[in-house]
Amino acid sequence: MMEATLRRWVKTMLIVLMVIGVLVFLVAIGDLVKLVIISALLAYILDPLVTLIESNGINRTPATAILFAAIALILGLILILLMPLISAELFEMSNGIDPEKVQQAFTRLDNSIKEALAFLGIPDLHLSDRLSDTVVQFGNSLFSNLFDVFSVFTNLVLTPFIVFFLLKDSRSIKKYFISLVPNRYFELTCNLIYKMDVQLGNYLRGQILDALVVGILSIIALWLLDVKNALFIGTFAGIANVIPYIGPLCGAVLGVGLSLLETGDLMFALYIALAFGVVQLIDNAVLQPNIVARNVDLPPLAVLLVVIIGGKFFGILGMLLSVPVTAIVKVFLQEGIHIYRQYHFT
Amino acid sequence: MDSFWGNIFRQREKEEEGIRYILRRIPVFKGLNRKELAAVERILYRREYKSGEIIFHQGDPAAGMYIIEKGKVQVVFEPTQQVIAELHDGDFFGELALLDDSPRSATVIARMDCKMLGFFQSDLLDLIERTPRLGVKIVMRLLTVIGERLKKSNEQVQALQIKLYNLKQKRQNIAGSGS
Repeated sequence: MMEATLRRWVKTMLIVLMVIGVLVFLVAIGDLVKLVIISALLAYILDPLVTLIESNGINRTPATAILFAAIALILGLILILLMPLISAELFEMSNGIDPEKVQQAFTRLDNSIKEALAFLGIPDLHLSDRLSDTVVQFGNSLFSNLFDVFSVFTNLVLTPFIVFFLLKDSRSIKKYFISLVPNRYFELTCNLIYKMDVQLGNYLRGQILDALVVGILSIIALWLLDVKNALFIGTFAGIANVIPYIGPLCGAVLGVGLSLLETGDLMFALYIALAFGVVQLIDNAVLQPNIVARNVDLPPLAVLLVVIIGGKFFGILGMLLSVPVTAIVKVFLQEGIHIYRQYHFT
Repeated sequence: MDSFWGNIFRQREKEEEGIRYILRRIPVFKGLNRKELAAVERILYRREYKSGEIIFHQGDPAAGMYIIEKGKVQVVFEPTQQVIAELHDGDFFGELALLDDSPRSATVIARMDCKMLGFFQSDLLDLIERTPRLGVKIVMRLLTVIGERLKKSNEQVQALQIKLYNLKQKRQNIAGSGS
């Protein structure tokens, strides 16, 4: 009896040590883990397209190669056609903003806040200094992330490489992991993977399609209003839309903020805010219910927390990925508990 | 060294050939060519069960069917603990799970060390998406198998109804002659 208890203790301790060891190892190779997570997400999103090509009688490997060639072509076309337009917009934007005007606007804002809240005895807020500090910090982190030689190499070469092999061998990888599961949890695991796949697949692909449509709608709305940087602001609004609640707000704030800084016309800024409001209305009333799976919805507070945590640890990429990763965890727990309760274990 | 690798590959080929031989005998995969059988084989899960181990419980959510590569299992109706069937090498069970999500209708227990092949609904759906021609072939065969079972069940029900009718007639006759 004592021996059995001791053996169980030793076994548990060994498992705990192994888990800690694996976690420490994963933290040590954090960059690589991040890369694999991003690649796995990309592979997962692209998987139905490879399946679609396969349905024409083409084997998995050539089907994956065809998809990669198509993506390279599309990205190439975007780079050739859209990038010059966006970079021209960015250049125009940086020239269009008069630093003196910005300084004046912030000083005015600083003073009005100080006057309005004088009873609290608030000293100088130095809003413009704080903003410029934040911008410099943000720029530095963006610069160091984007232009670090190693990260450029890993992002441009390793990511497509990993995505290719994950896509090509996705079924063998899944089969291998399932083969490690003990018999009593075998059917449960297969069921769980299937249910998760259905829910998450719909959610992630839906989010991307939604972001694409919101981006296009924003560009059209801004273009109709004759906003100077419609392409840049619309693209940003589309990408930011991946983050629920916070993303759409960021897009609108960028659009309104830029137009205020450039023209100083409050009425015009109001029109832009209204345009973003209409796009969000269409998104919430028409697109989201039809495209994005509702059961993966996350509460606003959870979204806010995970976006902050993601941003703290992994920067902008972390903010963008925090929501889908949380959705994966949520679906895993939700489905896992639901399915586990349906099975008998003896 | 050559013979070492040669042995390993020969062993694997032998195993694959063995699985294909079993699959060919399963009505669900009847009429599939070599290439199609290889595609099916790629999505099967090979599992080993010890004697006495439960493969699935009655009432559990159904996920797919099993083919017995080697061994013997018993299908047990839990409320009465009655053994409904005993299945051996090359037999299959749980095929209804490929078409609907209703819970398992009986418990299946390994009665000796078994080697099984699991074929799951999710993989069948994936196969239909990738290779619709092969997928439809399998689904048609599956429907034929289930249709045949339904026909057999109907015949049994009819036979039981005739029996019941005859018994009722007999009872009426006895009651008639008694009064």
